[in-house]
Amino acid sequence: MADVRLVELTKHYRRGTEVIRALDGVTVDIEKGEFVAVVGRSGSGKTTMLDLMGLLLKPTSGSLFIDGIDTARLGDRERAHMRARRVGFVFQEYNLLSGLNVLENVMLPLRYVQNGKKTGAARAVELIDRVGLSDRIRHRPTELSGGQAQRVAIARSMVNSPSLILLDEPTGAVDTETAQQLVDLLKRLNREDKVTIVIVTHDLDIAAQANRNIRLKDGKVLADERVEAAGVA
Amino acid sequence: MEIVRNVTRHKLRSFLTISGIVIGVLALTTMGALAENFNALLDGGVKYFGSSIQVGPPDGTSAPLLPISKVDEIKQVAGVGAAFPTYSFQAKPGSAPSFSFGVPDTIVAGDPAENDWAALKITYAQGHALDTSTTGQVVLGSTIDKEFGKKIGDTIDLPIRPPDAKPDFVNHTFTVVGILNVTRTAPDTFAYINVVDGQTLLKDSLPATIRDQIPVAQVAEAIDVYGRPGSSISDLDKLAVQINTQVSGVKATKPSDIVNAFKSGGAIFTAITTAAALLALIIGGLSVVNTMFMAVAERVREIGLKKAVGATTLNIMGEFLFEATLIGVVGGVVGYGLGAAITVFLNATTPPGQSTLFLITPALTILAIGFATVLGALAGILPAWRAARLDPVTALRNE
Repeated sequence: MADVRLVELTKHYRRGTEVIRALDGVTVDIEKGEFVAVVGRSGSGKTTMLDLMGLLLKPTSGSLFIDGIDTARLGDRERAHMRARRVGFVFQEYNLLSGLNVLENVMLPLRYVQNGKKTGAARAVELIDRVGLSDRIRHRPTELSGGQAQRVAIARSMVNSPSLILLDEPTGAVDTETAQQLVDLLKRLNREDKVTIVIVTHDLDIAAQANRNIRLKDGKVLADERVEAAGVA
Repeated sequence: MEIVRNVTRHKLRSFLTISGIVIGVLALTTMGALAENFNALLDGGVKYFGSSIQVGPPDGTSAPLLPISKVDEIKQVAGVGAAFPTYSFQAKPGSAPSFSFGVPDTIVAGDPAENDWAALKITYAQGHALDTSTTGQVVLGSTIDKEFGKKIGDTIDLPIRPPDAKPDFVNHTFTVVGILNVTRTAPDTFAYINVVDGQTLLKDSLPATIRDQIPVAQVAEAIDVYGRPGSSISDLDKLAVQINTQVSGVKATKPSDIVNAFKSGGAIFTAITTAAALLALIIGGLSVVNTMFMAVAERVREIGLKKAVGATTLNIMGEFLFEATLIGVVGGVVGYGLGAAITVFLNATTPPGQSTLFLITPALTILAIGFATVLGALAGILPAWRAARLDPVTALRNE
């Protein structure tokens, strides 16, 4: 069974009398444990696809299945619960809460899961160790570099042991060397935790390190191809 | 913990917002304590006058005195349990009038046995009740005792001689045999003497030209009448009507008329003071609304993030509501604390002989802090709702 399945997924926006076809009948199956890069120009529908897969948006039409669950049947509350348990997000701007330290930021999603803090605190500490920030565990986001902040965001995305992690231009705000370090980290987590990773990126070097590239244009899938000799196990 | 940090993140803004609530609650506490004190005074009146019938001379009588024989006539009316002649005099005649919520210092002459019938019981902090067979004794209420600094065995001249006393002014020396516990109502400013001494003071108070013509032992200023044990206020009302019908030359006032007058006076005072304080508090509440809207506007991305990681609409609403409630609680506790401290200070500095003005009660404490808490929560509803309804995609990409 596909871990994530998009069937004729469509999202249209209305701007005045004009209809914007942000995503237009996309059908894609993503297997469990895949590392997928979604590429395309600005306005091609990459972020819309990511927002739909993360249940932040509702599709205009079509279906989205996550772990075999038809998300169209879910109400707002169930969608929120599904985001908490099955989906992790990483954003370009990190989106760490400035009032919380590293550990508290990583533990944020545990608040929204029953008994999350009790069962997830040890995992949060373990993840901070795995992303190499044990010595920064009590630091505030303002005391971190861009790469460190993004590693915190990656740890946060994994704290509830989701089956799917969605990353929206996660290397867009860091230098090339840091970007590569982050990709190496993602590849390691993908390999060790068998977590499905979908990364939206403009950076073709990063896309080349995924094991599959989905190229979008004008809201449609232009190409969906395996990457040869990808660095992902 | 994060909610506390959110409140303290903008220290000046939070301070100003909480100050708005503090000022409102402070006003509510002090004005409420004033109203509570006034109501305690009125409650005493309601308790006293609700359990007895006041009988005096009929309207239009030239001399406000009753033949003491009326006491026995009244006792004959069916339903009457007891009747006592009473006399009352200004304790400080000629003193400069001063504004006070309390009853002025008064000398009350009556039978100590009346205390067995009255609903408002007086109890003794020190000493004992008057001895009906011994003249020259006085029992002082707590406030009048404090005013003159008397203890058991001391003497006091009553009435107090005014500085500009007329040549024929007369007073008498009384020995303090009892000091009453605080009642927060009329007995606190009363000096109780027995009937015979009361008749002596009555004689002293009459104009010299008629002083010797009035047999003061045969008259009373008023008669307090009690129904049989267990009589309700409506029973006493009916009894008052019966007295007026069956006993000539007296006027019995229905207890309910007096009680209603007390209650309406108390209700108006409470309404005025509470409304003024609530107005201040509501203005404070509006500042909470403003602060919370600003907090939502500043934390749009944070809200989007929380939604992205699994927060439900209720989670987000709860967080903002809790934050607004926390502002209300802190403002309520601080405002109440300051208000209570001010009332304690003002009560402590009240000159001896004047009734204290403020009374903090458990009900007022619950009202002040509870209202601030509820106000904070209510003020947070609209901003919290706006926060909870934010579209996460838009919120996450908010600049």
